[in-house]
Amino acid sequence: MQVTLQTIIGGISLGAVYALVALGFSLVYRTMGLVNFAHGNVVTVGAYLASTFYLSTKLPFALAMIVAIAVTGVIGLVIERVLRPLENKDFDLMLIGTIGFGIVLDALIIMIWGATGRAVPSPVAGAPIELFGLRIRTYDLVVLAIAALATVLLVLFLSRTKRGAAMQAVAMDHEAATAVGINVGRSNAIAFMVGAGLAALAGGLVGPLLYVSPTLGGALGIKGFAAAILGGFGSIPGAVVGGLAIGVLDSFAAGHFQGYSELVTFLVFTAIIMIRPTGVFGERTVNRA
Amino acid sequence: MKLLRGKRAVAAVLAAVLATGGATGCSAPGADDKSSDDSGPIKLALADAQSGQLSSLGAWELKGAKLAVSEWNAKGGINGRQITLDVFDTQGDPTIGTNLARKIASEGYIAMIGTAESAVTIAMAPILKQEGIPNITSGQSTGLVAVKSEFLFLNGPTSTTYDETLAKHVVDGQGIKQIAMITNNGSYGKGEHDAFLKALTARGVTPVADQVVTTDQKDFSAALTTIRQKNPKLIFLGAEEVESGLIVKQARDLGITAPFAGAAPQGTPVFLDTAGATNAEGTIVSSPYLSNDISEASKSFAAAYKAAYNEEAELHGAKAYDGTQIVLTALRSSNVASGKDLAEAIRATKYEGLLGSFAYDETGVGIRATSIGVIRSGKLVAAAG
Repeated sequence: MQVTLQTIIGGISLGAVYALVALGFSLVYRTMGLVNFAHGNVVTVGAYLASTFYLSTKLPFALAMIVAIAVTGVIGLVIERVLRPLENKDFDLMLIGTIGFGIVLDALIIMIWGATGRAVPSPVAGAPIELFGLRIRTYDLVVLAIAALATVLLVLFLSRTKRGAAMQAVAMDHEAATAVGINVGRSNAIAFMVGAGLAALAGGLVGPLLYVSPTLGGALGIKGFAAAILGGFGSIPGAVVGGLAIGVLDSFAAGHFQGYSELVTFLVFTAIIMIRPTGVFGERTVNRA
Repeated sequence: MKLLRGKRAVAAVLAAVLATGGATGCSAPGADDKSSDDSGPIKLALADAQSGQLSSLGAWELKGAKLAVSEWNAKGGINGRQITLDVFDTQGDPTIGTNLARKIASEGYIAMIGTAESAVTIAMAPILKQEGIPNITSGQSTGLVAVKSEFLFLNGPTSTTYDETLAKHVVDGQGIKQIAMITNNGSYGKGEHDAFLKALTARGVTPVADQVVTTDQKDFSAALTTIRQKNPKLIFLGAEEVESGLIVKQARDLGITAPFAGAAPQGTPVFLDTAGATNAEGTIVSSPYLSNDISEASKSFAAAYKAAYNEEAELHGAKAYDGTQIVLTALRSSNVASGKDLAEAIRATKYEGLLGSFAYDETGVGIRATSIGVIRSGKLVAAAG
């Protein structure tokens, strides 16, 4: 029982990070119908930026994160601006464009920070909380709180603001949205910017948990993508549920199947997707491809 | 129509992936311009991960090997010929490694230094054997010996030596019998698992827990909580630097206070940084190169290393330095032979290196001893007793 509960706790904090990555994937997908293959690399950029401002510039962790999110958001805008001429012209090229951006970012990371990685010390001091023989890291609670806050803010933005409502409209029918005077290009740009910001948030938060290296985003990107699909690609609550589910599933598979855990995780994932191809929340309203 | 476009998109993505993967190391088998003539520089290849999670190993290897080559070049090279060392990035990936092995063969390199990963080296070995290119690796898996290539040499001891020495120290010396194991299922981790388990079994000790993790696992709560419940006095760790560091960090967060023990990766700065110095305190390390102060040779090596790269020398750089020195010594003694003659010359080379006295046998292993160190206040020091 203790092992089971501790496994859930271990899975949830990484699951929250997968959820943030999945949110970024889903936000861009529901707005543009595009899978941003550079998303994982943006996570790595965010992780490096946050750790650089935190370790080298000695900014407080929260401030370092905000700066990293802002800079990464600009990178998102640049990606969208470069790809914009292809919007509604050739979707396949746009898809490949994001892969290209991923490779470029990867190369830039290695040029700027080198191929080797760095360890980030935990910004939250203090021993783990002990509760009924279970140990909960204080930093895990911080990660969960920030991820929850980010999700709430995103939902409020999409449902309560004019700009957010415009993005929803573009997601539903971009031609109709254009007809009523919504600037689709700006809507897409915001989706990319917020998506990149979420990637930086995920990368920055995961730094102290793991090890920041050029391959960091690759691993998180795949799990985050799987999480988005599992929850229902394009669905905001789906991304959160999918992320947490993948995190916990991963931890359980590790406990029960040890060396074969990766295989089991993705077999279970495949089985779920075969039963429910549209994911748990099964929105999939967008299909412009 | 929608379906068709979807399929096209998938095909396009596949094509892009294939194109990037294929571009890394494709040279036609016919492009054979072996230039092992008697003039011009002597071409050595260094194949190692220069990018990816294992790139720190590759960076250290390159520094050690480069130092050896530049020392020989400063002394006038071999038979008046300069030595060049060209770098090939394996990314720690066996598939890329095999591509690079063909490239190294077709471009006429006389010998290869590297790689630091047993799995990559094992993948490259058949091609290097077929092409007759001697290869001195920093890998330590017993699988390297099982390849039975007369062209493959190790620049350090095998896992068996590391773990036998470690078991002797902790079981025979300190009388610790309650031992848990956590290893990964990669080539290195599996080798460590089998070698240490064998050493324990020979002493009549059964591990209280034997947990296996994957090489890119990030959360170890399940494995570590199971270990914690068994209350071990010592935890054996068989994983690469970063993963080992994460395991130790998470173990301390879960309230595990038992010390860890392991081989080469646990003595590196990357492990220390990832785990955090306080978490790694007391880790027992089996290593053929504990510190830069063990001998006159290591002191001068460390000084030269510091002068060249402005950082402290460590095990992997020292191993690659020794390995490169052995290849260069064999090249001199054989009058720049190649192929089988060079392999025989390496086997015949007796060399006093930083790791100890090298004397190769038919298995390609040249050194069979390690020492025990302990991490104290963030530094690896020789263990007492």
